[in-house]
Amino acid sequence: MRTKPLTRAPRTTRLRRTAGAVAVGACTALAAAACLDGGGASSTASDAVEIRWFVGMGAGSDAPTIPAQEQVVEEFNASQDEIELVLEVVDADQAPDILSTQIATGDAPDIVGPMGIRGRSTFPGAWLDLTPHIEQNDYDLSDFDPALVDFYQIEEEGQIGLPFAVFPSFLYVNLDLFDEAGLPYPPQEYGAPYVDADGTERPWNIETMTDLAMRLTVDAEGNDATDPAFDSDNIVQFGFGNIFADIRAQSTLFGAGSLVDEDGDARIPEPWVEAQQWYYDGMWEDHFMPNGPYGDSDMMGAGSWFESGNLGIGYTHLWYATCCMGGFEGDWDTAAVPASGGEVTAKLHADTFSITKDTEHPEEAFEVLTHLIGDAAEELTQTYGGMPARISLQDGYFDRVGDENFEGQDINWDVVVEGMSHVDNPSHEGGMPNFLEAESVLGEYGTRFSQEDDLDIEAELEALREDLQAVFDAA
Amino acid sequence: MSVAAPERPEAAQTPARTHEEARMRRRRKRILWGGGVTLGAFLLVSLFLMPLGYGMVTALKDKDGVSDPNSPILPVSAEVFEYEGEEHEVYAVPMPGGEVRELALIEPGRESSVFIDPGDPGAGPIEWEGRWRTLDPVRGFNPQWGNFAEAWSTIDFVRLTAWTLFYALTTVFATVVSSAIVAYGFARFRFPFRKALFGLLMATILLPPAVTLVPKYAVFLQMGWIGTYLPLIVPHFFANAFNVFLLRQYFLTIPKELEEAARIDGAGPIRTFARVIVPQAIPALTAVSLFHFFYAWNDFFEPLLYLAGNRDIVPIGVGLSYFSGVYNTEPHLIMAASLLALVLPVAIFLAAQRVFVQGIVVTGVDK
Amino acid sequence: MSDLTAAVRRARRGKRPPKRPASPMERREARWGYAFIAPWIIGFALFWLIPMLASLVFSTLDFQLTDPEATSFVGMSNWERAMSDPHTWQSLLVTLRFTVLFLPLSLVVALGLALLLNSAHLRGVGFFRLLFYAPSMIPLVAGILIWQQVLNPQTGWLNKIIGLTGVQATGAGGIRWFDNPVLVLFAFSFIGLWGVGNAMMINLAGLQGIPTQLYEAAAIDGAGWWRRLRTVTLPLLSPVMFYNLVIGSVLIMQYFVQPWVLFGATGHPEGGSRFLLIHFYQQAFVFGNMGYGAALAWFIFLVVAALTAVLFGTARFWVHYGSER
Repeated sequence: MRTKPLTRAPRTTRLRRTAGAVAVGACTALAAAACLDGGGASSTASDAVEIRWFVGMGAGSDAPTIPAQEQVVEEFNASQDEIELVLEVVDADQAPDILSTQIATGDAPDIVGPMGIRGRSTFPGAWLDLTPHIEQNDYDLSDFDPALVDFYQIEEEGQIGLPFAVFPSFLYVNLDLFDEAGLPYPPQEYGAPYVDADGTERPWNIETMTDLAMRLTVDAEGNDATDPAFDSDNIVQFGFGNIFADIRAQSTLFGAGSLVDEDGDARIPEPWVEAQQWYYDGMWEDHFMPNGPYGDSDMMGAGSWFESGNLGIGYTHLWYATCCMGGFEGDWDTAAVPASGGEVTAKLHADTFSITKDTEHPEEAFEVLTHLIGDAAEELTQTYGGMPARISLQDGYFDRVGDENFEGQDINWDVVVEGMSHVDNPSHEGGMPNFLEAESVLGEYGTRFSQEDDLDIEAELEALREDLQAVFDAA
Repeated sequence: MSVAAPERPEAAQTPARTHEEARMRRRRKRILWGGGVTLGAFLLVSLFLMPLGYGMVTALKDKDGVSDPNSPILPVSAEVFEYEGEEHEVYAVPMPGGEVRELALIEPGRESSVFIDPGDPGAGPIEWEGRWRTLDPVRGFNPQWGNFAEAWSTIDFVRLTAWTLFYALTTVFATVVSSAIVAYGFARFRFPFRKALFGLLMATILLPPAVTLVPKYAVFLQMGWIGTYLPLIVPHFFANAFNVFLLRQYFLTIPKELEEAARIDGAGPIRTFARVIVPQAIPALTAVSLFHFFYAWNDFFEPLLYLAGNRDIVPIGVGLSYFSGVYNTEPHLIMAASLLALVLPVAIFLAAQRVFVQGIVVTGVDK
Repeated sequence: MSDLTAAVRRARRGKRPPKRPASPMERREARWGYAFIAPWIIGFALFWLIPMLASLVFSTLDFQLTDPEATSFVGMSNWERAMSDPHTWQSLLVTLRFTVLFLPLSLVVALGLALLLNSAHLRGVGFFRLLFYAPSMIPLVAGILIWQQVLNPQTGWLNKIIGLTGVQATGAGGIRWFDNPVLVLFAFSFIGLWGVGNAMMINLAGLQGIPTQLYEAAAIDGAGWWRRLRTVTLPLLSPVMFYNLVIGSVLIMQYFVQPWVLFGATGHPEGGSRFLLIHFYQQAFVFGNMGYGAALAWFIFLVVAALTAVLFGTARFWVHYGSER
């Protein structure tokens, strides 16, 4: 705000001098800015075509992954002078909104990626069909699993991307916290039971995991959540958490499903009602999961719970290992996803790079895209922690990731690969009509869910279904 | 809110008291009032500026220090001891004998843990019965000055500042020149509809610019201006209502005789304006420049909108908000970046303080 | 300020005297006058008048920037949508609620600080004036980010200070400023009070302009501090207060940066940060509904126009013009 009545200020030489200084400063800055402008992005002096690469719709927007991406850009720009690649990293929470703004206002980037299934669902029809470019350049696809290439072949839209990396999900286990509690580690093989400290075998399912999680939840006095003296206002360590998960990602642990039925109407799948009740009770009744207030706190890493060292079991995808676990001080390992109702569902993220339909330079963009999923793929898949889609890069991939990020640690990566046999179909990131607005409805539900005690979850879900229906109808 | 009452009238004095006594009493009272009010103001200003202190302290903490809700106020770090290649935190452990020893926790357990004495690791592990979570960690003062360097390079502080300066200074120049011209027109010339036009000008201060945004955006997009500074700078060449208002107020106070003398010498309106009015109005122009400079420094909505697709050239406010989104798990870096961002404007304010205070405070109302 | 008050006075007085034909000298002067104000006239037409009217046209269209050919005339349906969209009313309610909370608060604090700085008893006036004004110079976004941490429920100092009084403020059961639609308005208020310096300075200037004889006369009548404040200070300061009120309400109607930096367009918590402009920005520039956005923009325009009319309409009952030059 700048609101000052102003009259008759006495004239002094000081004022004149200040004015002079301001004027001189203005000229200097103008000159400086002119130079800046020359080197900047708005009006490049050289004839290089500018290609904007937008990151944030999948992996890659976490702080530790940024320098490696900048490195890739720098190397690419140094290797040729036709294309000026510009990296644009956006916070993952805001990325859909920002990209939507850019697309809606005709200011779209050229390349978007890595982009998950959700990104594709958010902007149906926004992507360029790569088929003509693949044919024109005679681009070699033999290094990919044909099924994976087909995965990005969308009816009416064409080949909207090429496979880049997949991110299976699994449990992250904080071994130090298990040791401290005197608990054996969860199984690292699908189908194997959990073996108690006294040798009793128990099926590795939600119930068993809940028990462990209660024992791993501790207050400031050292009482665990099963103790009657447990103080739920002073929890310093939680047992379980599904990290960065919305309702769809949470509920998929209880079975794959979709909020859209065959007729395009809103529905809440039956296992998801049970799932939401379990999560809600876990937060507000049994306290073994961080609720909103705890989950947002810096003690729990402002949402990045497992990394904080104060979570016993974290559930999320492979990308979390490289984005967030590089600086982890304790010991951690992997474990199998527990079964629910006898079935295991390990949700999957799959990322691609796509070119926006509105790009002015499709050919140059395609050249960059093939570079990112080609020569740069080894570097980038390691950075993002994605299992490479290129068959030639899969061999020894985990050794390279381990050497780079977790030297000296013995992490069992087989669990990760095995999880691929239990992927969620339909995907928890699948499409919904009027996607952005539907997501915003889910977000509002999620806020109440994680912030408010004493909710009737069945009633909340029914209200959610009605709200979703209204948004679907407006599509 | 503590507000002082001016001294009471002297009517209540009893004749029995001497003049001297009364004066002493008044003086004592005045000192008391002065001390009380000043102390109150001091407490108030401390509370008011408390967030800055918090920001400073937080910016100097390490990540553990920010995230632990029970950590002390000052930037301290837990003391660690390296034992067999791993770092272990040191705690103040009350021993069965009653003494308290500073020991490193090497094997935490729920009800009993294993420690080692950092002063004498050769003595071997020490078993201790009890809950380690109830122990107090040993901490030492350890400000992380490196946070500022890290924040400086991560947000690319120099680039953000340079673009912000560029934006602020070009628009200061544009708006002050154009506003002065328009203000002179409104201050010195009579023409039909002057009052109505001036009213319209004032109305644009009050009305929400959102109502013009959609078509403006569409046109700027057609012209290829989106993603550049043009939509942010060009409108400032067409005067700004607020600056016109302020400058016109000032021009009205300049005696007309000066201009009449110039006119008799044969100067036209343009020369009169440039040679007579502008030099007379330097204080007002300076003040308006400074006000606008700070306004531009804080401008957020339009840069956010028009530069959404060109994040390399955003001014510092927008840049900071992008940064805080991506680095939300590193509050100490966000604090360091925020403090860096406020140094330059506050320094300019302090340097130009006198101009500011004169611009704001010295009103036409005579004391 | 005098222009605002003059406008009010004119509205009270009624019509101006009739005009007589202009002389050649007057015509010459008028031409120069128009020449000088030409930059503004052009700018007004280009950046206000034409876009405003165009906006009105846009509000009757279904318009997507990416696909201008598909534009179609939809009549009043964008307006109907605006009126039936619960977010529209929610954003209006949030904005008005914040106005009712923050505006009086900031006016009182600005007045209180000005009275304090004007007190004869205060030592080091310059020092305090500087410190109370300084936060107004802190870049807004930096201030918001600092306050975001200060209001952190677990580690922030405000909750720790409140905790000293024995109230449970920190921890999970504590005061969560950013997760409750009422509390979040207080959080915005704290951030807003950091910018109170300008209003404070204007008040201070107004206070210093009040002739001391008036106080002396009131004192002779035996008026205490409170009565002098009510009968002398406030009436004479009312034009200044009115000015602060108008500027303050205009700024709240355009409230955007604080909710955006803290919550983006999510409206978190439960719509508590969905101000009018956030709603507009989300529809027009996030969801890309340009036609609908234009209708919302006009809706905001009408709200502000109504509010301004109310402010100026009531001004005649409480704004005192006795001391105007």
